[in-house]
Amino acid sequence: MVFYCQPVTVNGSIPEGYWKHGSSVLQNDLPNTVQPHIQKTPDVIPMYANFQNQHNSTFSQGSMEMYPASYQVSQSHQSSSQTVPQPPEHFDSRKACKLQIPTNPRIASILPLGSQKSDKESSMTSAVVKPAYISVGVPTPNAKVASHDEADSMLKPGTFPKSLRGYVERVLARCRDDRQKAASQEIMKEVITKATADGTLYTRDWDTEPLFPMPDINAANKDHSELPIPTLEMPKNRRSPGRRGKSRWEPIPHEKLIEKSANFTNDTAKYGGWNKQFAGGKSDNKGSLGTKSSLPDQKSSSKIFGRPAKRQRLGNDLNAADDGEASSDSDKAHSLTKYYSAAIALADSPEEKKRRDSRSKRFDKGHGIQIENSNLRAKAVGPGNSYARRASVLVLSRSFEESGTRAVEDIDWDALTVKGTCQEIEKRYLRLTSAPDPATVRPEEVLEKALLMVQNSQKNYLFKCDQLKSIRQDLTVQHIRNELTVKVYETHARLAIEVGDLSECNQCQSQLQTLYAEGIKGCHMEFAAYNLLCVILHSNNHRDLLSAMSRLSADAKKDKAVKHALSVRTAVTAGNYVMFFRLYKTAPNLNTFLMDLYVEKMRYAAVKCMSRSYRPTVPVSYLSQILGFTSASPKSEAIDEKEIEGVEECMEWLKAHGACVTSDNSGEMLLDTKASVPSLYMPEPEDAVSHGDASLAVNDFLTRSLA
Amino acid sequence: MAAYMSMGEAHRRINEYLNRFSDAVSYQDGKSLSRLLSISSDSATLLSLADALNTFQSCYSGILTVVLCKHVMLFIYVEIFICFADANRVISQSDKYSQYGDILVPIFRAVRSYRLRNLVESYLAFEKASNAFIQEFRNWDSAWALEALYVVAYEIRILAERADVELASIGKNPEKLKGAGSFLMKVFGVLAGKGPKRVGALYVTCQLFKIYFKLGTVHLCRSVIRSIETARIFDFEEFPVRDKVTYMYYTGRLEVYNENFPAADHKLSYALTHCTERKEANIRMILKYLIPVKLSIGILPKTSLLEKYNLNEYSDVILALKRGDLRLLRHALNEHEDRFLRSGVYLVLEKLELQVYQRLVKKIYIIQKLKDPNKAHQIKLDVIVKALQWLEMDMDVDEVECIMSILIYKNLVKGYFAHKSKVAVLSKQDPFPKLNGKPVNS
Repeated sequence: MVFYCQPVTVNGSIPEGYWKHGSSVLQNDLPNTVQPHIQKTPDVIPMYANFQNQHNSTFSQGSMEMYPASYQVSQSHQSSSQTVPQPPEHFDSRKACKLQIPTNPRIASILPLGSQKSDKESSMTSAVVKPAYISVGVPTPNAKVASHDEADSMLKPGTFPKSLRGYVERVLARCRDDRQKAASQEIMKEVITKATADGTLYTRDWDTEPLFPMPDINAANKDHSELPIPTLEMPKNRRSPGRRGKSRWEPIPHEKLIEKSANFTNDTAKYGGWNKQFAGGKSDNKGSLGTKSSLPDQKSSSKIFGRPAKRQRLGNDLNAADDGEASSDSDKAHSLTKYYSAAIALADSPEEKKRRDSRSKRFDKGHGIQIENSNLRAKAVGPGNSYARRASVLVLSRSFEESGTRAVEDIDWDALTVKGTCQEIEKRYLRLTSAPDPATVRPEEVLEKALLMVQNSQKNYLFKCDQLKSIRQDLTVQHIRNELTVKVYETHARLAIEVGDLSECNQCQSQLQTLYAEGIKGCHMEFAAYNLLCVILHSNNHRDLLSAMSRLSADAKKDKAVKHALSVRTAVTAGNYVMFFRLYKTAPNLNTFLMDLYVEKMRYAAVKCMSRSYRPTVPVSYLSQILGFTSASPKSEAIDEKEIEGVEECMEWLKAHGACVTSDNSGEMLLDTKASVPSLYMPEPEDAVSHGDASLAVNDFLTRSLA
Repeated sequence: MAAYMSMGEAHRRINEYLNRFSDAVSYQDGKSLSRLLSISSDSATLLSLADALNTFQSCYSGILTVVLCKHVMLFIYVEIFICFADANRVISQSDKYSQYGDILVPIFRAVRSYRLRNLVESYLAFEKASNAFIQEFRNWDSAWALEALYVVAYEIRILAERADVELASIGKNPEKLKGAGSFLMKVFGVLAGKGPKRVGALYVTCQLFKIYFKLGTVHLCRSVIRSIETARIFDFEEFPVRDKVTYMYYTGRLEVYNENFPAADHKLSYALTHCTERKEANIRMILKYLIPVKLSIGILPKTSLLEKYNLNEYSDVILALKRGDLRLLRHALNEHEDRFLRSGVYLVLEKLELQVYQRLVKKIYIIQKLKDPNKAHQIKLDVIVKALQWLEMDMDVDEVECIMSILIYKNLVKGYFAHKSKVAVLSKQDPFPKLNGKPVNS
């Protein structure tokens, strides 16, 4: 015999999750049942016949226990242990698991373990299929229907491995409707039972356990043909069942114990739960049903349950559309975000609803599309078709994702490692949003040629950068991490340094660091020096600098390039401009290019310093030599053209920075230091753009799209 | 591992622990409770509990398998054990334990795993227990359990550190300390409110600092510092002294990284004056940062201080400052480079070079003054170059000129430099201004 606390509904709104029960669909339409009453559903739903047969003997009305006194304690224990309040989507799961507590107090008190065992047995069966409690609805006029799902409290922490729970959730999450869910639950039951039997329940890594293929719905449908399929006829309370609002990494909302237990006492809900205390508790109390309810508390408790439902909806535009009306008459205490109300307005319009319905129907064709796609792929074999093929992969994975409601982060990228077959050397970079298609991925030997092509190419940096990125991508998706990978990253980093593309350079540097750390050979020292220079000159973070320096090995400190970089660091921190520009001229490798980016700052600091400390004048020729405008020291008698050019450049620079330059009797140009002190300024960089990223400038964009 | 222990003995020990726990909670005895939770302390109670649990585990693993085979989802073994041991008692006292089952059950697992040196497992179980503990703690109105909370915060950090060592040794990603960090952030959130529990916030903050400094993610300190220093609910003087000292030590170190010397001086000095003299190791740690900070604002410590706290790595640096011996400074920096880099004072010490140059020029000035007081304020560049050559510093005229220019610019030397005649002309009044507690202009 089964009890149901029939949720009492007000204003025609229907308790979520309840309408799907075949047996109670009719009752849902009973409007305005004001008084909370417990309705006895005479027929036991034979969902788990085996389970119920087993316990039929213990199933009597008398054994259905309410625990007015000890109940709260046990409940608080249980609810505190349950850290994951169920998202409302799981309501539909309860149809498959109307679990009742089979307790025989007589047995329980005598044989604690034995009764536990039967309890456990029942929970075993039920936990597998995510059982649910059914709470009592609340007859407050404007409160939303309280509906509540305690499915996972069956999974008492400590009994199931946590990862198993994640697995179950994952399985249920990909179900699109009840039938799939029910079928999945059947399979899951088998899987877990088997795992329990052969003892792998705790040892198996459920997090990586592959999901079983989606069961044939039609087969499952036969079993549950009496269940109404949610269709457009019930737009008000329709809920796409399997869809999750958010990824499963969303923060877990904490509900307070007190609120919860208060709610339960008040509702005196029939508890389909399983608890240790149930075994030893009292066995009467049938009479106390409903006697403890008090209105104000119920109101508050209904709010508590209203909240998660709403939050869920916010994240789920599809659902938002369907819930639009339901929520518009819901309690106004929750302020809705702009977006949300807009979504409701949209959802209320009939066209939008139609559009959404057709859209969601499209997902139902997931399997069909897959077949279509495989056909498509079979056709698209020739070269040049790679883009079409790629697109098909995109569609394929998208339809797969949506039908399975798998978040992007759920995709196991490692499992998607591919072996490329593409023979084209040139390939444009396109950010991957789906599983890579082997037909568009180049194998290692082709990538080597591609790298050579880029190295010998005369085209501009944008072209090379694009090509290198696509090479990097192909390496990544094929999990190639060897000297070729290092070479590619090194090539890219060097090119980026040459043109001053620091962000790309940093990306390559960080990759290179891990690659070197794995022991793959390359130009380790050269890049250690670049790394050091980048930190010193461009991030100016003392902590980063210290850690970069302390990471250098004794050998590294002997390396020419690293030594140079360290000297540059000393010069910069001391503000020693003479040393800096000497090092600038003797820089090995591409160190010069990185220093280039700091030259302007250093010159400005130097002139500022000199204009304060020198009196009365400093010759410009000296400045141009000290500040790296002229290449050689002015020892050579014949002042060649380059020297003059350098001095002129220095003049230009001084003028551009507001320095005061005079000439003496002999015509030598002199910096008037005293006059320059207040007038020096740092001009705005010519290529500066208002949004701060020169690479986004229009001209640049045009060249890029032309390239 | 202890010798064979009878089941009865095991039962007794576990029951004893449970009793102590429930007594501590019901009498609101924070001290006893904290002792029961500090699983890394290797206290006798916990060791014997762990052995008892092990005994139980080995005896009942057989039953567990049977239970499993019958498809029965089990309580974890502890609960079964309780039923076996004393069914009546458990039923009569079920309220007492069931309320704390979420704390106790994972605690048992953590204790056992810790004893078996399965540290990752132990950490995970302890985190679970801590979560449950925080939930309970939230509901206790008074702050009686603060001490136990401190222990939880401490244990979770220690266990995470050890678990990370274990993970790293088997080539896995050590990420438990990071997890402990986010857990402690949650604890901080529990404490950061009105009411008596807020005085515990600083302890948790200090544990967070320790984690962030260890992980090298000191930028994460900023948000905690902001809420400690700006939130109205916190009154810094209200916190316990030991937490204030730790807090000032870490924030002082952060200021050293930022090279904000006056602030670093203030914070580290606070830590030094409030730290009890008995904690010599702590005083040494504070001084390790305070001495470089003081040096860079021109204050030199006594040699006896260095000797007392065994901070001899600084003695050459200080000697170099006194003598104007650039070679000695560079040598000292070179010698202890690794140590200084790790503690993060290398760059601070390196900046002392300018003060050494100042001292050197001042020495030249004094010698010149002895010879001819009228010409003393004109120092020829050649003289300085020569002096540096005596110190085996190979620097040419241009470089020395640059350094003189910087010295004048940073107001370590008053005067000007005449490029044409290559002479530094010093001011007649106070040519070498003292820093007097102010940092070098930058």
